[in-house]
Amino acid sequence: MVRFQPCSVSFCGLLACACVLLLAVPHKVLMAQELSPEHAKFFENEVRPLLAENCFQCHADEKQKGDLRLDSLTTMLTGGESGAAIVPGKPDESLLIQAVRYESFEMPPEKKLTDAQIQILTEWIRMGAPWPGSDPSAPMVRKTASGSIDRFTDEDRAWWALQPVTRPTIPVIQDSPWARNDVDRFVLSRMLVEELHPAPAADPNSLVRRLYFDVTGLPPTPEQVAAFVNDKSPDACEQLVDRLLASPEYGEHAARQWLDLVRYADSDGYRADGYRDNAWRYRDYVIDAFNSDKPYDRFVQEQLAADELFPHEADTQAALGYMRHWVYEWNLRDAPGQWKTILDDVTDTTADVFLGLGLQCAKCHNHKFDPLLQKDYFRLQAYFAPMMPTDAVLADDAAISRHRDELTKWEEETRMIRDEIAAIEAPYRAKLKDAAINRFPVEIQTSVRKVLNEQTAYEQQMSYLVMRQVDAEYGSLESKLTPQQKDRVLQLKRQLETFKDLRPASLPVALAVSDVGSQAPPTTLPKRADELILPGIPSILDDQPAKIEPLEGLSQTTGRRAALAKWLTDSKNPLATRVIVNRIWQSVFGRGLAINVSDFGRLGEPPTHPELLDYLTDRFVTEGWSIKSLRRLILTSATYRQSTQHPDFASFQTIDPSNRWYWRADNRHLQAEQIRDAMLVVSGKLKSERGGPGVLSDIPKRSIYTRVMRNSPDELLNSFDLPLFFNSNSSRNTTTTPVQALLLINSDLVLGHARALAQSISLTESNPELQVAAAWERVYGRTATSEELQSSIEFVHGQANRQLNLQKRRSESFSTIETSKLPYRDGQAVRFTNTGPNLELKVNHDASFNDANFTIEAFFQLRSVDEGSSVRTIAAKWKGDRAKPGWGFGVTGQGSRRKPQTLVLQIVGKTASGEVKEDALFSDHRISLNTPYYASASVRLATKDQPGQVAFHLKDISNDDEPLLTQEIETHIVSGFANESPFTIGGLSGVASRTFDGLIDDVRLVNRPLATFELLYSTEKTIAETTGFWRFETEPGLMANSAADRLPIQARGEAIIQLEPSQAALVDFCHALLNSNEFLYVQ
Amino acid sequence: MFNNLRNGPTQLDLTTVTGVSTPHIVVPQSRREFLTHSGAGFGALALAGLLNERSVTAAESVHSMHSKATHFPATAKRVIFLFMEGGPSHLDLFDRKPLLNQLAGKPIPESFGKVVTAFGETRSPLLASQRKWSRYGESGLEISDWMPHTAQCADDLAIVRSCWANGINHSAGVCQMNSCSILSGRPSLGSWVSYGLGTESQNLPAFVVMQDNATSVVNGPRNWSAGFMPAVYQGIRFSEGTQPIPYLHEPAGVDPSQQVEKLRFINQLNRHYAEQHPEQSELEARIAGYELAFRMQSAAPEVIDLSRETDATLASYGIGDSETESFGRLCLLSRRMAESGVRFIQLYSGSGSKWDSHADIERNHTNLCRSVDRPIAGLLQDLKQRGMLDETLVVWGGEFGRTPMSERGNGRDHNPSGFTMWMAGGGVKGGQVIGETDELGLFAVKDKVHVHDLHASILHLLGLSNMDLTYIHKGRPERPTVNEGEFVKQLTSA
Repeated sequence: MVRFQPCSVSFCGLLACACVLLLAVPHKVLMAQELSPEHAKFFENEVRPLLAENCFQCHADEKQKGDLRLDSLTTMLTGGESGAAIVPGKPDESLLIQAVRYESFEMPPEKKLTDAQIQILTEWIRMGAPWPGSDPSAPMVRKTASGSIDRFTDEDRAWWALQPVTRPTIPVIQDSPWARNDVDRFVLSRMLVEELHPAPAADPNSLVRRLYFDVTGLPPTPEQVAAFVNDKSPDACEQLVDRLLASPEYGEHAARQWLDLVRYADSDGYRADGYRDNAWRYRDYVIDAFNSDKPYDRFVQEQLAADELFPHEADTQAALGYMRHWVYEWNLRDAPGQWKTILDDVTDTTADVFLGLGLQCAKCHNHKFDPLLQKDYFRLQAYFAPMMPTDAVLADDAAISRHRDELTKWEEETRMIRDEIAAIEAPYRAKLKDAAINRFPVEIQTSVRKVLNEQTAYEQQMSYLVMRQVDAEYGSLESKLTPQQKDRVLQLKRQLETFKDLRPASLPVALAVSDVGSQAPPTTLPKRADELILPGIPSILDDQPAKIEPLEGLSQTTGRRAALAKWLTDSKNPLATRVIVNRIWQSVFGRGLAINVSDFGRLGEPPTHPELLDYLTDRFVTEGWSIKSLRRLILTSATYRQSTQHPDFASFQTIDPSNRWYWRADNRHLQAEQIRDAMLVVSGKLKSERGGPGVLSDIPKRSIYTRVMRNSPDELLNSFDLPLFFNSNSSRNTTTTPVQALLLINSDLVLGHARALAQSISLTESNPELQVAAAWERVYGRTATSEELQSSIEFVHGQANRQLNLQKRRSESFSTIETSKLPYRDGQAVRFTNTGPNLELKVNHDASFNDANFTIEAFFQLRSVDEGSSVRTIAAKWKGDRAKPGWGFGVTGQGSRRKPQTLVLQIVGKTASGEVKEDALFSDHRISLNTPYYASASVRLATKDQPGQVAFHLKDISNDDEPLLTQEIETHIVSGFANESPFTIGGLSGVASRTFDGLIDDVRLVNRPLATFELLYSTEKTIAETTGFWRFETEPGLMANSAADRLPIQARGEAIIQLEPSQAALVDFCHALLNSNEFLYVQ
Repeated sequence: MFNNLRNGPTQLDLTTVTGVSTPHIVVPQSRREFLTHSGAGFGALALAGLLNERSVTAAESVHSMHSKATHFPATAKRVIFLFMEGGPSHLDLFDRKPLLNQLAGKPIPESFGKVVTAFGETRSPLLASQRKWSRYGESGLEISDWMPHTAQCADDLAIVRSCWANGINHSAGVCQMNSCSILSGRPSLGSWVSYGLGTESQNLPAFVVMQDNATSVVNGPRNWSAGFMPAVYQGIRFSEGTQPIPYLHEPAGVDPSQQVEKLRFINQLNRHYAEQHPEQSELEARIAGYELAFRMQSAAPEVIDLSRETDATLASYGIGDSETESFGRLCLLSRRMAESGVRFIQLYSGSGSKWDSHADIERNHTNLCRSVDRPIAGLLQDLKQRGMLDETLVVWGGEFGRTPMSERGNGRDHNPSGFTMWMAGGGVKGGQVIGETDELGLFAVKDKVHVHDLHASILHLLGLSNMDLTYIHKGRPERPTVNEGEFVKQLTSA
């Protein structure tokens, strides 16, 4: 099944024979001797001008639309995407004539030719298409052994990346003790040709920092620096490389490059940008693969076809997540279009990542520069055509069967309860399902409604997409029930809860794919549905369909992906092997030996050191595809260990300004994640927890574990050129923008890191001079020189004095809190936590707090709900005592008896009869964690004669396709909830269990029930009856009320930051270090 | 432009391989040369700039954003793109369909062809337009009573009634209207323009985005991202208030005097480091990055300060009237930015899909049209009066239009197959209509203009060829209109 057609320049003569070149001379072409002067005259006077005027604009040397050129006889006969343009002697069979008659294509598109012009072309073809000057005896069309047209030239076949990988001779260099390994011998021999010589070795301080960043992505601690600098053993460097490659941090860093390549993300990527629960298992799989040095061939096979090749290895199935990182639009009704996008995505990514081919250029036409056909794009896509997204259970058969047994037991015990719930829900489910399906085009509806065994493979794939939308529709089920039904379901669910100890924990699942069955849906070229495309590798390597072998014991899969994986990992595959080796080189030196790491095509540059690339590739393959071993070889080379400085810098820089020949090391900018991680390391904040679901970026875990939300990337990472993760990304941009400078110097985020660094230093050092020295070492990985120390201390003293004077001028010492940003919102939000330092925000009681109608509004994002029944308070005017007047607005806990994890407004006040009573009003809409919302409650109180109404509004602001949810609930409170307690935000006065956990932004309290169009979500118009509008912005002040110059927030708690002048000065110093280039670059 | 300095030679080679000759892909070489030659003195210049002694040369080179040559003479120098986010109804604004009102209440006849709609109500009855229409100006363009002020500028508008796009939903639609592709990852039009033309401003970004409320635009910042191009070409969002750009000023609790000292110290550290690393030209660039950031500290608040505008000007934009205040301010700000040399200004009306009127289009569009109509007219008239309209291209539209079929009884669904956009100024011949939709306004049928053609046209008016403007990504030349799109010649000729 694996076929290679080795050919090299010198080999082409033989190849010509081997391929059986057929001279394909159309039978009616006029031979040169047959061309009469009349023919020539007719052609030159009538035909050529006509072609030139009407066709050449799009079909000649400048443009070749449809891959067609009409400016020579040869190209006319070879034709374009739709085949030969003319059949000499047979005008009616000639595409050109059909096109100008507007029978098939309509050419020229702007204006049909006149009848007379069409007649000229028809006549010309009828006479045998005489074209003076062309040599009809020359082979115009070559055919391959299989009889198809051979579109490739000798030059195409000589393309370097297609040549078999060789094992070049290692250059022998006299008198050079510099070379430490073979890498150096190749590099040095090339360097000498350019009359360059290597730089001296980097000093140990630079080298250790470089090694840590390159292998683990993290800076070394001062202790780690010292250990290396003081290690005088001759193989200290080798030992360090071994230690670093063996550390778990290695995989966390190495995975980053791979995750960029496969466009890994934790979210769907359209506006809804839904979070993907289990995507992270793929991320952890990749990290583990690098850490365990999984052989690369195996790594590739698992990602493309673990289900086909290793079906019994449960954990390995997470690798299939590779095929699940496409963007997904949750409400797109064009299911065929969405499926095509998904297949194109997997095809594009595979060609980029494994083959280094810009195959997407060939999606619409034959590749303009590389010998890749449009057909090749779809041949590759055909491998994925039977793909069916699925959830793979990451557990072995025994565990699965145990789980099934336990579940069955639970099911039996709870059958009555569940059946009753199902019976209540059934009619609504049916309606919702129908509603969702009916939004699709009619033919899709028909397909989906067929029973499974009548569906074609393609229809099953369409059903998958439709059923995902049906599932989403079920999300609104609860709100459709009648109040009685809601109560009953709630009651039943509570009963169900009593059996929870019987229910087994769910088994871990990963996003994966399988095949839809043993038969693949057809793959065809666009607009040519009749031509079936079978899976195959690029035609230039083998134009026959791939042989797909049945897989033993697997009847429900095609084996196509397994075949692709085997070909990609064949030791003789010239592309896939070179591509990965080049990428590893790139990960160490910042650039590949072949610069365009994901495009080995002719638009890219050939490798600077082709022999070295081949040497490393051959070694890599023959020695078991070990990435660690390859990296070790490169990292321990003298080439790698060079200094960035060179004694002959000035003259060498003119010879080779871009350091193409590696005569020194490059000074490199840290990547986005390295910058964030380094800040966490030096500030002492980094948590060493590994793996697991992605976390929000304010959690100090390594950036690889930060959730990758495609539409709301972390600000800091984003400013330092984080890729978008919509397509395969093979190299990071490094730019310098004013946005970066502003973020580093003015954001609370970086200042917060500086504070933590200063605080951590202060814990161990009290002497200001030693503090400065310690901070320097921590951030730069080296000891400050005495001059550096001197000027630093001067700076710190100066800042401390300025700070002291400032504090004297102010009546009270300045305090602040750290703020965060709410996704999809401008400005700053306040962070509350119920585990870390506490923060109490209150506004003292005032007459303007109503004992009548009001509206409370806020934007928020919740990190957790209480496991018991406590409400996470957004805002309240209450102390939480159900017997005392007041109100609180928040989100219920997991154990809420009435309704878990939902918005609630509790009011304790008087009813019409004068009785004081608690009215707890629950909305139906469940609040998702880590999702930004706008929420409000408009309260119109009851009167003697009629009940009042509370209108809840809720909007997931990360999802624009979702409407503003509204729910109106009756209340019987007429008034009497006024009290003297302060108005609180993010908690209840003195009730720790009701503290909010997450972010709160823009809280507004208005003394009247607002209509939908007046809400803060709908408009930002000022409303006269506003008591308070607390926005947490620097202007008019974090704690100020922007509605009036009164009722500011009083903040208390451990989260308040107040610094002594000397501490503030140390913070400034640390902040400056984190802003400096020495921190951001590695030399 | 700064990325992959080492790719310089590759990119140079490419120009010969592809036969593409543009000034845009060879810059890294000259920048490197410039920086290498300018040596250590450059860092000193940067701090001088920080302390208000302007150093123009440094900033220009840092950004590679100095004005660049066009491919052919331009008629427009800059663009103000008024984006009605959510999809305004062409049927009720600029494309009158008498047949729609005749057939109202009936299903759409089969002969009009089938569409896939976002919410699937393809067979809902046709919804009449309740608008009153009049003809305006010498040209007599027909415009509805929802845009009475804009209608007064009819003779400046080239109304393109035959637009079409590919995205059925907001995300894809907004993505395509910004980047030409319904799939994300490509640079936005504004980024291509910054890349192709650079900036004329010393202190402001080339590409600025503003929105009329704090809710995020669909897709968020990736609408103005540079895609696969370096971040230096991305749009920067401005907002009103004392902090028009995020993190423009020191955070709460930090005194400006302390901040200046801190910056001086950072510069000292950086200069010292740069002197030790002459091989790394980026270091100088980074120092100068701080310089530009701090020039923005004074320039940005200045440009958003409307206090020196006359009452008459403010009133002409509808500032002072709560209904038009918000968008009016954005329109006036965009004129001020245009004056300051910002190249591409994008204003979002109704950010967060507020124009999306699946239900109750009467109420939705009445409010939104009122909020933008006077400000837009104010902008066009103000530009004209200041002699700026000739070189400022104003573009109006959303990501798609709306269906003739009703949805939920009184709304309209998304319609990317036929909708209206208009352009004014920047060399565009006003008072004309380009293209047609069918008799019910469902499909564009005559002289169809795809988003690719719209972008190609905007670029053309700016003097850039959509086929010659290339950026090398992963070794391949990428073009702003995904290799498609043609200039709509009628825009300038009629």
